[in-house]
Amino acid sequence: MLSGKALYIFYMKTKLITAMLLISFSSMAQELYVYTEPASNMAAKSIGLRLNNFIMPESYTAKTNYHMIPEIMVGVSKTTMVHFDAFLSNRNKGLSVEGGSIYAKYRFLSNDEVQKHFRMAAFCRYSFNNSDIHQEEINLYGHNTGFETGVVATQLLHKVAISSGLSFVKALDNGNSNKFPYSNLDRQAINYTLSIGKLMLPKDYTDYKQTNLNLMLEFLNQFNLGSGKYYMDIAPSMQLIFNSVARVDIGYRQQLNSSLYRTAPNGLFVRLEYNLFNAY
Amino acid sequence: MKTFLFLITITISIAANAQVSKVSLQASGLTCSMCSNSINKALKTIDFVQNVNPNIKTSTFEITFKEGSSVDFDKLKKKVEDAGFTVASFVAFVNFANTEIKANEPVKVGDKTFYILNAKEKSLNGAKQVRIVDKGFVSTKDFKKNTLAAPTSGNGVYNVTI
Repeated sequence: MLSGKALYIFYMKTKLITAMLLISFSSMAQELYVYTEPASNMAAKSIGLRLNNFIMPESYTAKTNYHMIPEIMVGVSKTTMVHFDAFLSNRNKGLSVEGGSIYAKYRFLSNDEVQKHFRMAAFCRYSFNNSDIHQEEINLYGHNTGFETGVVATQLLHKVAISSGLSFVKALDNGNSNKFPYSNLDRQAINYTLSIGKLMLPKDYTDYKQTNLNLMLEFLNQFNLGSGKYYMDIAPSMQLIFNSVARVDIGYRQQLNSSLYRTAPNGLFVRLEYNLFNAY
Repeated sequence: MKTFLFLITITISIAANAQVSKVSLQASGLTCSMCSNSINKALKTIDFVQNVNPNIKTSTFEITFKEGSSVDFDKLKKKVEDAGFTVASFVAFVNFANTEIKANEPVKVGDKTFYILNAKEKSLNGAKQVRIVDKGFVSTKDFKKNTLAAPTSGNGVYNVTI
């Protein structure tokens, strides 16, 4: 566990990195965010394959939680896409399957201009999970059974994209008789996010084989409607795109402030993604 | 005589085939190369498309067509939209053969009918760049600039400027 001083130094470092990123972002990104989804969808008839990995040290023990989430994304039409996820983790014994999730997004507004757009989409997620509930934070990505529904708006301005999402989350009882252990009112929360992304490389596009580098900065927040408790996280990340089909995302999520009991809020995220266009 | 007939047949078929030699379309709503690639790959799945030459920087795609095929403009536009984007500009390179232009009368070239909104010349000959100005083929801003002549567009009938 980190001492108070070490935490303070880390906090100051994070603040400095944030400030530096914000300065570089303010000049002019891209919207293939690492921790959130933009209002845009993938192309119709395309399929994306992802392997998501969370490596999160537990705050109150020496254990490190590893969550592995294989994901399949399907572009159903120009306005609708669906994700299917499986949740695996090492929290109990070995690496075992704990649940799954289905996510759908519908783009209902699209104002396109050359190298610009403003788009809005509505999304919903249903997740189920059989593991024990061990924290007040509601997390439908590998922890809680429940549903989420919300809207997201994204503005693309040449090399920069800014996106914001607002959603309602409701936790249900987990499977395997793992009941929600807190007050019934605490099952409901609001998630709100702000994401900024910037295309750094290449400076000049000449062909599809050029490796792209995107930098992202995301703010991930939750407010519990029952208890009034909250968390505020910051998540800087970098993204490499190879051959315009494959993607590697590396991010770090850091709690800035929280009054919610959370077991492993901070940690590393690594995603591998491959896209198949005109797959069916 | 046989050779003569054969030559005539060839000449006619070349004239018929090369009515639309190329389309240059610009897509809007994107910057990244993965987005551009999704359009590029979608256009390449069309049966009458020979080749797609993308310019990622300007989101422009130069499309050439297989010989003897009928080019469906609406299908090209639909592929861009299915990829999640919008057509901002659509220019077809059309070959005219001494086509007479009369006021308020559409021009027929092969299986397509063009309502030319800004016709200045009395007749059209040779390769001309024809810009489609119907909804979905131009940006929303540019769409408002023209008063359309064709009552309905699509299915081979288009409002164009030259």
